Amino acid sequence: MNDAPRHAAKDPGPPLRADPHRGAQRLASVVAALAGSLLLLFLAAPIAELVSAGGAEGLRRLGSDAELRSSLLLTAFTATAATLVGVVCGTPLAFVLARREFPGRAVLSAVLDLPLLVPHPVAGIALLLLLGRESAVGGAALDLGLRIVGTPLGIIAAMLFVSAPLFVSGAREAFAKVDPRYEGVARTLGDPPWRAFRRVTLPLAGRGLLASAVVMWARAVSEFGAIVILTYNPKVASVLSYDRFTSFGLSEALPVAAVLALLALVPLTLLRALRTSRPDER
Amino acid sequence: MIRLEGVTARKGRFRLDGVSFEVRRGEYGVVIGPAGSGKTTLLEVVAGLLAPIGGRVTLSGVEMGSAPPESRGVGLVYQHAFLFPHLTVRANVAYGAADDGTLREAADRMGVTALFGREVRGLSGGERQLVALARALARRPRLLLLDEPFSALDPRRRTLIRREVRALHREWGLTTLQVTHDFAEAGMLGDQAILLDGGRVLQAGTPAEVFRRPASPYVAEFLGAENIFSGTARDLGEAAPDWVDGRPADLAHGHRAFAFQTEGLTLYAVGDFAAGAGHAVIRAEEITIARDHAHDSARNRFAGRVTEVASLGALTRVTVDVRGTPLIAALTTRSAHELAIEPGLAVVATFKAMAVHLC
Repeated sequence: MNDAPRHAAKDPGPPLRADPHRGAQRLASVVAALAGSLLLLFLAAPIAELVSAGGAEGLRRLGSDAELRSSLLLTAFTATAATLVGVVCGTPLAFVLARREFPGRAVLSAVLDLPLLVPHPVAGIALLLLLGRESAVGGAALDLGLRIVGTPLGIIAAMLFVSAPLFVSGAREAFAKVDPRYEGVARTLGDPPWRAFRRVTLPLAGRGLLASAVVMWARAVSEFGAIVILTYNPKVASVLSYDRFTSFGLSEALPVAAVLALLALVPLTLLRALRTSRPDER
Repeated sequence: MIRLEGVTARKGRFRLDGVSFEVRRGEYGVVIGPAGSGKTTLLEVVAGLLAPIGGRVTLSGVEMGSAPPESRGVGLVYQHAFLFPHLTVRANVAYGAADDGTLREAADRMGVTALFGREVRGLSGGERQLVALARALARRPRLLLLDEPFSALDPRRRTLIRREVRALHREWGLTTLQVTHDFAEAGMLGDQAILLDGGRVLQAGTPAEVFRRPASPYVAEFLGAENIFSGTARDLGEAAPDWVDGRPADLAHGHRAFAFQTEGLTLYAVGDFAAGAGHAVIRAEEITIARDHAHDSARNRFAGRVTEVASLGALTRVTVDVRGTPLIAALTTRSAHELAIEPGLAVVATFKAMAVHLC
């Protein structure tokens, strides 16, 4: 007779063994979290300190300090003008770099990245050499009645030099993300290249282009080194902040610097909104 | 009409090499090939999206040269549809539409009118393919280029849409070139089949011709022929032997009788072949299985033993070992049941000399 129970107990299998690496993994996680938090604190604390110390005063001074107001307006105007020039001239360049294979493409890309690597006062000196009244370009512009150095044009030139590569790089990436087969389909549906670009490529790359323009604008607003060499006066906000610091000390520079930091929140918010990712649609 | 003569083109590292074929006006051409064989690149060359570096592309009687895609009168549907995601379904279909009437007809025939208000991102893969078909048709092209256009459709919808596209092709007098990796689809749709692999045309002709007379063992294998043997063919002479379906006069002009010697087997073949080393191809459905030596006109008759039986729904694939050489036959599952086919059973496999293709 079979004495075995009709329903044998379910085999629990081999006992679970403790993972010998579990403790080390937990420690690594804690160290990584700590390192990340420290960096975050290091980046955020100075700005928070600046805004809390001078933000209210800076906003109050917007009503009473005419120089600060005109400096901010000049900053916004020149940064916008530099961005517009960068977008108009940089978009076709970015498209060509994203779409076409040609000899020297890598060299061209490297040249475009160069302004990002040059120290900004050095960029200012280089621009002064190119656009100063003694130079061929600056002299020719003067003959046409255009003075570059020491005018808003100089500010725009400095801003364009240091920030346009950021737009071209971002725009190139935005175009590269658009599958050329979309354009191909548009062409077979009757569009010549320009119309396919306007109706298909541009809308599909639009968010990336806009985000790149915002990055360029923000970089232009924050520029100091090249501008201070090319055009000290009229003063953009960064130069004004430096000028107040060297002439009157920290207490006078603080409100200007705080307003600039608050201004930086505008492109930051825009970028957040634009970078909300959308899945690829085919 | 689509005519390619010695077309060579490069896309990245891939190369189309001396591609030549013709799909006549009003015909439905099907390019068949495995993944990476250059099918899509070929369509892009015909559409003018990729410039050939050699050869000539002639569409509707006009040599294209460097004519841009928008002037070629082609409609292109990619496998992944490439609907414009920033436009609604209606705006996609209307993108290049010839007129409102054509737009409505194309949308109705492809069954996408109900989707008009939808955003592209909410569509299923099959719906996308239908919208892409409607978009290309709404332009009323002379030439329709289709890249695996039915691959994302469920089987029922695929059958319906295939039929609809074939009907539109006929009614509108389109010349169509479709690429697929599915030979069955080529057989159902195509007037012309073009086999492409590694950027080269391996064979072109009617689907029946390509199916029955593969140009190489590779083509035969690609087209699903199960029995491919290497060996040597010997010409049996001008006079047809008496086993060729009765009378020598029945032998078609230019056809000859051959004995093909492969490992341990002699196969008899009739056709317009060349003697010498080569391959013999017999499709599984040409081989019949019996439990004894039945009398029929089939010249090739081999006793063997069943080694494997695999049921594939309506068909059953039976492998018979004949003196160490496997012969694979495809029977209806009903026949296999009636014969009680099972591994180890002694059977006789027979096939006609006309069923043996030498290449």
